[in-house]
Amino acid sequence: MSEVRLQVQNLCKTFGITKAVQNVSFNINKGEVHALIGENGSGKSTLTNMLTGIYSIDSGHFILDGKEVHPKNQVEANDEGISIIVQELGTLSGLTVAENIFLGHEDRFVKYGIKNTGAMNREAQKLLNQYGFDRIRAGAMVDEYNFEDRKLVEIVKATYFNPKIVVIDETTTALSQEGREELYKHMNRIRAEGNTVIFISHDLPEVLRMSDTITVLRDGVYIDTVKSADMTEDGLKKLMVGREVTGDYYRADYGGEISKEVVMSVKNVTVPGLIRNISFDLHKGEILGFGGLSESGMHEIGKACFGASFDREGSVTLADGTAINDIPTAIRHSIAYTSKDRDNESVVMNQSIGDNICLPSLDTLKNGAGLLSDRKMKAFANEYANEMSVKMVNTDQFVSDLSGGNKQKVVLARWIGKDSDILVLDSPTRGIDIKVKQDIYQLMDKMRKNGKSIIMISEELMELIGMCDRILIMKDGEISGELMRSPELDENSLIAKMV
Amino acid sequence: MAEQTKAVSKEEELKKLSVMSTVRSFLPLIGLVAVFIIFNVLTGGRMIKNMSLVMSQVYVTMIASTGVFFIMTMGGLDFSQGSILGLSSIVVCFVSKQYGNIPLAVVAGIVVGAAIGAINGFFYVNRKIKSFIVTICTMFLFRGIIKYLTSNAPVQGSTQLMLMNTDRLKMICTLIVIVIGYAVFRFTKFGVYLRAIGAGEKAAKFAGIRTDKMKFLIYVLSGAITGFAAFVNSVKVGSVTATGGSQLETQILIALVLGGMPISGGAKARFMNVIIGSLMYIVLSAGLNMLGLTTQTMQLIQGIVFLIFVAVFADRQSLQVIK
Repeated sequence: MSEVRLQVQNLCKTFGITKAVQNVSFNINKGEVHALIGENGSGKSTLTNMLTGIYSIDSGHFILDGKEVHPKNQVEANDEGISIIVQELGTLSGLTVAENIFLGHEDRFVKYGIKNTGAMNREAQKLLNQYGFDRIRAGAMVDEYNFEDRKLVEIVKATYFNPKIVVIDETTTALSQEGREELYKHMNRIRAEGNTVIFISHDLPEVLRMSDTITVLRDGVYIDTVKSADMTEDGLKKLMVGREVTGDYYRADYGGEISKEVVMSVKNVTVPGLIRNISFDLHKGEILGFGGLSESGMHEIGKACFGASFDREGSVTLADGTAINDIPTAIRHSIAYTSKDRDNESVVMNQSIGDNICLPSLDTLKNGAGLLSDRKMKAFANEYANEMSVKMVNTDQFVSDLSGGNKQKVVLARWIGKDSDILVLDSPTRGIDIKVKQDIYQLMDKMRKNGKSIIMISEELMELIGMCDRILIMKDGEISGELMRSPELDENSLIAKMV
Repeated sequence: MAEQTKAVSKEEELKKLSVMSTVRSFLPLIGLVAVFIIFNVLTGGRMIKNMSLVMSQVYVTMIASTGVFFIMTMGGLDFSQGSILGLSSIVVCFVSKQYGNIPLAVVAGIVVGAAIGAINGFFYVNRKIKSFIVTICTMFLFRGIIKYLTSNAPVQGSTQLMLMNTDRLKMICTLIVIVIGYAVFRFTKFGVYLRAIGAGEKAAKFAGIRTDKMKFLIYVLSGAITGFAAFVNSVKVGSVTATGGSQLETQILIALVLGGMPISGGAKARFMNVIIGSLMYIVLSAGLNMLGLTTQTMQLIQGIVFLIFVAVFADRQSLQVIK
């Protein structure tokens, strides 16, 4: 058998009243890709954040190659041979690519107290070239590069010094197919060199394909460690949820006629630098999908329909002729929007769940004297939070305490409470686990049947194929193709139009 | 599954947590009572005997704090309060003397305050300059104007205005502002929107709040409230000199923080912060004064107390995200 690289022993961590990790113990071997899976809030990221010094350890130990490690920050973790690629942006704006790569390790290039920028840039460029990222210039500001390229910089930053353990925390959800392939290549390389990858992902097919061993966590508790070769997707789901996942994942029907009734008409919409000359109609009871690469401009379409685009040309009009040019008008005319940037644009982070749900509906929550009623607000928040089964203590809890999936539920609860007729959902299931995903898909299907119209923007091709009546593919800011719902539709036919 | 036991333990912990947060939210009140008792003991009961004198200093601060409380809840700051008070007081005194019409003087004071607030709001919202920079600029700008207007002699109010100097009037004026302020903050859309902007402006915008309009209006409103405080101030002092109203901005800031106001604003702001904070500030400064401390020592002590409170109430935890 292979040697043990890392022993996790009786690890615990609590945040306020939430027990994020409870007494977790398991081993990770050398030369393997070890996946860590579980639903949102199961403690995966908390565990790896303790390993990499982002959070402190409440109790328990990490034994790396027989020696206890207890890093206090990421630089110390790097020194121990542990590095991490995080879920969101992990590069710092305002620094060059080279400065990002060697962040915390600048001493190598310092002589007599002066940093030798030239040497640092040369070294960084050498690394970038080795990784095959020649197009990224080491001396350029990292801000000049898009999300994907910045992730590539992070890959270099996290792996150039041959660390014993590389943690990859849900990085793939934010990447396009191309970026993912790049990441997979380096995961395989790290394994081949006898080092270890801890891989966190919600994408179960990806987990099964890429990993050797899988450890499952649920509600902060260790459930099991299994060999990937022996597992199926359904088997993993069962371990994660603790019961059989039944029923349809996506909607099951095909061949339904799309209503002729147009509820929203988008004409010649242009947002300089992002989208050009976009026109389409949204029909009653339709789920209209937008697919494409992350930079294809599709995310801007959601904002444009919600009146949230800066500097938009062209028109967005509803069936009754109302022009949608700003957010309050959009909301008043029953349009809802969930952003891809959930933490900044969807939920008001440092506010209670209750206030978040009530925000657009305050006008209906007044008492006879025209003042807001605490009782009505509480009842309203509770009703819709429970309808969406938000996992919470009560509605006074702050949204910042919730996991990604629960935040999304709060946003959806807000718009269901508002009874919106047109929903613009940008990446509604991004970074969300299967059970909540299934809930959201079922909710969308129910809404569609109730005559609501949905625009679904997503980078996950499978969910577009599974849920949409019609899919518009975006490429370089323009619509490059239209595909109708059918059982024969597969990912390749979408990708062909995307690139 | 163990759902049941988990739910129970969660309930218990929630109780514990809510008890803790209740204790925390009462801390300023406990502090106020403690400070009050301590100073009464130290001064041999002189403070309680001179309560009406002590209270006479609280009104202006408390009224003006209400407006700044709104601004801070939304996440902004306002350093121009002292200059607003000074200039509005000049206008109140001038109008009362020139036209002999007190209601007109009150309205004129409010209009001038609101106008300065609008200037603050314009540069803050339309020119997108940080609020503390804008208001520091306007603080100097209007202080300059005050100095120019008072360069020959202090601006005197009318005799009628000075005759109105009773505790009852000042208390009623303060009560009106406090009651309306509380109702607006707690029971209107305006209040919820304020907190939402403070807790996450971008998300608030995406929830349909016209954030720019709100931010502008809050500065206008806060200026208007301080313009009203200028009436109470004029009644009390009778005439305005070049330093009229100066230091009010720091008094307000210290008062709000003493009252438990989170310095970053947001959903944890409580209206109680205004009332307790202003009272605490006045008890503290009057008490130190009665003990015969010099102004320098008083400032030193105020600085230390201020630092301690900011350290205790700065909201670091809500920024932590569990994944």
